[in-house]
Amino acid sequence: MVELEAEDPERLGELCEKLLANPLIEDYEIQTL
Amino acid sequence: MIWGVVQFPGSCDERDALHACTLASGEARLIWHEDRDLGAVDGVVVPGGFSYGDYLRAGAVARFSPAMEAVAELAAAGGPVLGICNGFQVLCEAGLLPGALLRNENLRFVCRQVELEALRGLSTAGGGQGTERLSIPAKHGEGRYYAPEETLDELEAGGQIAFRYAPGQNPNGSLRDIAGVTNEAGNVLGLMPHPEHAVDPLTGSTDGLRVFKSLERFSS
Repeated sequence: MVELEAEDPERLGELCEKLLANPLIEDYEIQTL
Repeated sequence: MIWGVVQFPGSCDERDALHACTLASGEARLIWHEDRDLGAVDGVVVPGGFSYGDYLRAGAVARFSPAMEAVAELAAAGGPVLGICNGFQVLCEAGLLPGALLRNENLRFVCRQVELEALRGLSTAGGGQGTERLSIPAKHGEGRYYAPEETLDELEAGGQIAFRYAPGQNPNGSLRDIAGVTNEAGNVLGLMPHPEHAVDPLTGSTDGLRVFKSLERFSS
């Protein structure tokens, strides 16, 4: 699990695709707290 | 030919890579990860180790370094790029090579000499014909090559599977015994075992030199 404060939550998906996850081998789920 | 060897925080095989490049091709120099300019090098080695502590995933952070931007440009221009172990992981994360490297099947770090088959040949310096055998060391915890089946079929058809573990030698569960792949053009090679550790008879093999020499044909 990666927890972070996002200035622009709309970009979290892009952040996951480009850095936080490798979609080839990892699934991800975004939970807003 | 002049090789550049990228050094990240956490790299640990860059000195051996420098030595191997110098033995194979005559000259090599280190490139700091923050350097956007590679200087006057003809090819680049992205070495093994644990770049940026392998945070997130192995290679995930290193791919964003300034030096890797320059490496991507060199690769696009057809220059030779060799990623070894962690360097292979970096090149996959950067999208310069297909696939990904997963934890070893047995979840243990492996460190041993392995026999490889170079599928397109090495000594002919043109990606020649026939299979050649090499003996070089492997040392990794995340070396299990993975790609979707359709991608694997495309790699086979396109001749992009450059190295396989010899029968019975696969140390990590890599799909189809894949140890190394290239991009479509062949100038970018990722290899999980370490050719830079097999360049001196004292360590039991000089087969690694053939890997470096085989990429010289892509230097301008």
